[in-house]
Amino acid sequence: MSASKASRVGEEIWKTRIDKVNAELVTLTYGTIVAQLCKDYESDYVEVNKQLDKMGYNIGLRLIEDYLAKSNTMKRCANFRETAEMIARVGFKIFLNITPQVTNWTSDNNQFSLVFDENPLADFVELPDDGRSQDQLWYSNILCGVLRGALEMVQMQVEAHFISDILRGNDSTEMRVSLIRYIDDELPPEDD
Amino acid sequence: MTVYSFHIFDRHTECVYSKSWVQLPQNPDAPASAGGVPTTTTMSHTSSDEAKLIFGTIFSLRNMVRKLGGDDDAFISFRTAQYKLHFYETPANLRFVILTDIVTPSMRNVLHQIYINLWVEYVVKNPLAPVEHKGGNGVKNELFELGLDQFIRGLI
Amino acid sequence: MSYYFAIVGSQDNPLFEYEFGTSKQGGDGQSRFTDQVRHLNQFILHSSLDIAEEVQWSHGQMYLKCIDKFFNNYISCFVTAGNVKFLLLHQPIVPTSGSSSRSSTAIGANPTSPATEEAIKMFFTEVYENWVKAIMSPFYKANMEVKSPIFKARVAAAGRKYL
Repeated sequence: MSASKASRVGEEIWKTRIDKVNAELVTLTYGTIVAQLCKDYESDYVEVNKQLDKMGYNIGLRLIEDYLAKSNTMKRCANFRETAEMIARVGFKIFLNITPQVTNWTSDNNQFSLVFDENPLADFVELPDDGRSQDQLWYSNILCGVLRGALEMVQMQVEAHFISDILRGNDSTEMRVSLIRYIDDELPPEDD
Repeated sequence: MTVYSFHIFDRHTECVYSKSWVQLPQNPDAPASAGGVPTTTTMSHTSSDEAKLIFGTIFSLRNMVRKLGGDDDAFISFRTAQYKLHFYETPANLRFVILTDIVTPSMRNVLHQIYINLWVEYVVKNPLAPVEHKGGNGVKNELFELGLDQFIRGLI
Repeated sequence: MSYYFAIVGSQDNPLFEYEFGTSKQGGDGQSRFTDQVRHLNQFILHSSLDIAEEVQWSHGQMYLKCIDKFFNNYISCFVTAGNVKFLLLHQPIVPTSGSSSRSSTAIGANPTSPATEEAIKMFFTEVYENWVKAIMSPFYKANMEVKSPIFKARVAAAGRKYL
């Protein structure tokens, strides 16, 4: 599917098939989760990142089914480039109503960046002023987990992490996604 | 139209759900009695053997189809003298199989609808159901069973 | 014209303060409080809290207008729904004898004129909007001091824009 067609599909699904929810509700709910994690782990931000990723992973495992059902996807993407476009233009569009840019491909087509011009999870957010959060906390780290979980269900093992975040004072919010391998079909157990 | 049985296999090749409405006639001279009492036999011995056989068949056929027709080719159905087997596989490797009589047209859409309207809505979106349905765990909930039964009966 | 703006929490605890001067009529935005009175600003401002608490129930408005006066210091107040009080102390320049009448039309020169009331209302409203955004940050807890540089910059911008 071409990028422009993917955009149209994403727009169409967003308009017709998605139940909408108040954006602030989402923002505040997610914010509360992150703040509570920071409290529970006593501002061990490395651990908070890990927990967010884990939560995202569990969301991704389920969310992919909703994605496939809503987008009526009947067949696999032909290559990882197409996968990236579908994630950005259909996936992010229908679940968050944003379309991050897909850029910075490596020459082997196995690694790309998602650059977020807007991020509904991070509205209103200012990181704690403790001198560490700006260097350690990836506030929207749940998104990495979501991608990892969702792609694993469609036989792609990926690694995803943020490399910059406007909340930290960087110029942009950018996530790096790398394909590690395609997972083979599981074979039925041999009959005795 | 007669629907004999229905199976779901997860990506770990395990049969996570099966249900039969009418017994498949073993003898072609004795026609199946339609409208029999539906029996849900998830894990009884004979049905689990049957499920294993079905999975082995569709798995081999699907791989063979892909070898002959390319990766995008999909195995849709096959028929024998007694029944027709319809197959639909999601990109997440969830496989839906339904066995019907031989004159039934393609049920691929029906299986797709079951996936979208029943599986995703009642199994995946149930936050208390596990992600992996080992031993059919989490699949056999009332909404899913009821929805499936009504949907299939609506077709007959 | 000099301003001292403070936000006081629902437990009468200070949350934020900012001092600035007028930017209208060629003002440079710097306050002109003398060092002798600067430390008094906090006292004057906080002493008006009692009046604010009385007035706030008398009508349903959030903007209570000018509620208190102490010599040449006027206090305007705005109460949020969460019972947080925005207090603005404004101190018009004492007209020196022989000053031109032009200065009397400036915002703030006459602290109780409708034009001044309106300007302060606009200022409060804008600060309120930004206040809500600031306290929506998940890391902010109720009645915690607001240290956000972004919020401070926005208050400064609102001050420049309206006062």
